[in-house]
Amino acid sequence: MANPIKPDKSVTTTCAYCGVGCGFKAETHQGRIVRMMPWKEGKANHGHSCIKGRFAFDYYVSEDRIRTPMIRSSIDDPWTPVTWEKAIAHAASELRRVQSKYGNKSVGAISSSRCTNEEIFLTQKFARAVLGNNNIDNCARICHSPTQFGLSATVGWGAASQHFDSILQADVIMVVGANPTEGHPVFGSLLKRRVRQGAKLIVIDPRKTETVESPHIKAHAHLNLRPGTNVAVLDSIANVVVRERLFNEAFVKERCEWDEFQRWAEFVSSDRYSPEAIGAEAGVDPELIRKAARMYASGPNSTIYYGLGVTEHSQGSTGVMCLGNLSLACGMLGREGVGINPLRGQGNVQGGSCLGSWPHVFSGYRFVTDDDVRKTFEDDWGVTLDSEPGLRLPNMFDAAIAGHFRGMYIMGEDPVQSDPNQGHIIEAMRQMECVVVQDLFLNETAKYAHVFLPGSSSLEKDGTFTSAERRVNRVRKVVEPLAGYQDWEVLVMLMNAMGYPVKYAHAGEILDEIARLSPAYKGISFDLLDRVGSAQWPCDENAPEGTEVLHREKFPRANGRGTFMLTEYVPTAERTNDKFPLLLTTGRILTQYNVGTQTRRTANNRWHSEDVLEISEHDAKSRGINDGDRVKIASRFGSTELKAKYSTRVASGIVYTTFHHAETRINVITSDLSDWATNCPEYKVTAVEVVRVEKRDAAKRSKSVTHTETVPA
Amino acid sequence: MSQSQEHSTSTFPSRAIPIERLIVMANQIAAFFAPYPAARRAEGIRNHLRTYWDPRMRQDLIDYVAGGGNGLSPYVNDGVGLLVNGGDKKGYYGPPKA
Repeated sequence: MANPIKPDKSVTTTCAYCGVGCGFKAETHQGRIVRMMPWKEGKANHGHSCIKGRFAFDYYVSEDRIRTPMIRSSIDDPWTPVTWEKAIAHAASELRRVQSKYGNKSVGAISSSRCTNEEIFLTQKFARAVLGNNNIDNCARICHSPTQFGLSATVGWGAASQHFDSILQADVIMVVGANPTEGHPVFGSLLKRRVRQGAKLIVIDPRKTETVESPHIKAHAHLNLRPGTNVAVLDSIANVVVRERLFNEAFVKERCEWDEFQRWAEFVSSDRYSPEAIGAEAGVDPELIRKAARMYASGPNSTIYYGLGVTEHSQGSTGVMCLGNLSLACGMLGREGVGINPLRGQGNVQGGSCLGSWPHVFSGYRFVTDDDVRKTFEDDWGVTLDSEPGLRLPNMFDAAIAGHFRGMYIMGEDPVQSDPNQGHIIEAMRQMECVVVQDLFLNETAKYAHVFLPGSSSLEKDGTFTSAERRVNRVRKVVEPLAGYQDWEVLVMLMNAMGYPVKYAHAGEILDEIARLSPAYKGISFDLLDRVGSAQWPCDENAPEGTEVLHREKFPRANGRGTFMLTEYVPTAERTNDKFPLLLTTGRILTQYNVGTQTRRTANNRWHSEDVLEISEHDAKSRGINDGDRVKIASRFGSTELKAKYSTRVASGIVYTTFHHAETRINVITSDLSDWATNCPEYKVTAVEVVRVEKRDAAKRSKSVTHTETVPA
Repeated sequence: MSQSQEHSTSTFPSRAIPIERLIVMANQIAAFFAPYPAARRAEGIRNHLRTYWDPRMRQDLIDYVAGGGNGLSPYVNDGVGLLVNGGDKKGYYGPPKA
């Protein structure tokens, strides 16, 4: 092949790695993608990219891609390749059989933030209109469900208040439980640019991340709190804001519920939240808490960016409320340079949240329990809908173990690898009589499936993604789907086979239905996106090309005012003890993406070919562990093995790893505790012990790993 | 967990998910609403259960409370009391309005 290869075609589309939503020109040569060029007109990336979006695309032609539908009657049987017609008919009749045997509510559906808005919307329609129940959930359950809950409760909408470029107007940037340099690299660069220009940076994170200090920037305050003490520290910051009267009284009086502010102010100014009291509990210097509070409150423009380090806790929703309270109290909402912004892990987590793949709300965050809302969907879809919330993802697994849940349709999600307490999930999956997995690869969950439907990657389909800044970006088909169908087309076949006739000529017609049934998406269409490139919701007659900054005049609550929640610190039940004296927390690395399904199948894997356990030299040496030794890490739920690496990024008492490799099986050890409001798992805090594995055992172990690798992953 | 409670939960016939899990979840919800005045606390718990819990889970909790509610925070009992006797509040069941 000629070098350099001259592409013969170019298609503008959106990267599916992370919630930044970078625009790319995907260039092909004779029907095969040869390079991804960052798109200069992309409103999130302005021509920039990271190592994943730019280079990690070859997974789409991986030999591991499944190209034929397959079925089997038992998970112990080998797969039998069949035609699409046979696979769809089998899935349809099996799901109906399970429903007739165990009841209407014994089955459910899961969608993924790897899917497009159109596919996520269609999956909830499938559950509600075809399966006839509200057992529909999506992977945001295990990452950002507390964002929706906590932000709705305080500022009204569970979404970022700003556009990414707004950070260039910020004077103070507070990053809580996020590491954008690794997790959201293109936005991370923008943040670093603003800090180099002179903005002050506060980082609240147990680990000394790359965002805290890198060759170009250094945080002005790093609060390296103990995992699990976010709410305590944020309440303590609020304590300083109130006691030193640093809050913005005029803003609160004009824009918020004053009575609720007073109640909150009295609550957080209690001595139990003083920096001295909380500093001791959280392992943070009290003066650092004061410094952070004064810096944030003084602005003049202060902005908050946060990630899963806030949400994935038993008090995840409370932590998000703390951030809402703080930004309202200091008047840091409603203009450029301020705001409160969740950094979303996957490409379409915001879309997953917006488009009704939840057991309690339809698209647009409107409640299934609301008769008027439900009627609009019933009228559009022509069926009667369940008026009660359904089971959440973790509830489905619990219900399977209790004997009440027996079938699932899963699009693009791998709960066996990505959900906590893997032993429990596997036990639940073994109870199922019909699991339909639609995915690119035979993932871990497919080991417990009865029907496998080959999925299409985001390079093979049409639709939209909604990024972390509420920006609806167009996803365009670059190459033909490897197995013949886009994911939404497969689901349409299944819906028809189950007796619910639906027909869409193209994905844009699903988007039209979304616009018809979801007020914030009212003005969004393929036509608009083709014309203006992308648009941030809300997009309607008042904002025909979308809205960059939310809450300029009022908050989307019944009375238009922001409000304050009482956020008592309740320590997690997951505690260290003599048997498990260390706290494990988890995160990501730049070159890999999530559970690694895609990036592990590209050359990016050479940068990070295994997950390692970061441990302080002190903790390692006291256990006789040398740098590079293989270690066993155990919690009260299970144990796994990986390589230890001395690190100055974690303090003594804390260990850290990534979760990009299935072989690490880190979710064998994560706990079954979850957020009080949303059941979002507490991934970020697990009490563990780490012991060196003898070389002899390590050899035996690596042999057994080799053995399992011969099984298709 | 006491002996008697272990006994009472293990024999509880769940409609959806195991009662031990419901007890943990209900107590967590109660702990969040604890700092609120009594009436709002009970309403907050009721609204949360009504909006986010599958009806089978709610009914299990109601039955468990009726059977003595061993291991549950008293605040849960107040919220469940409203579920049973408070009438069905129309319209808004969203996140707690303070």
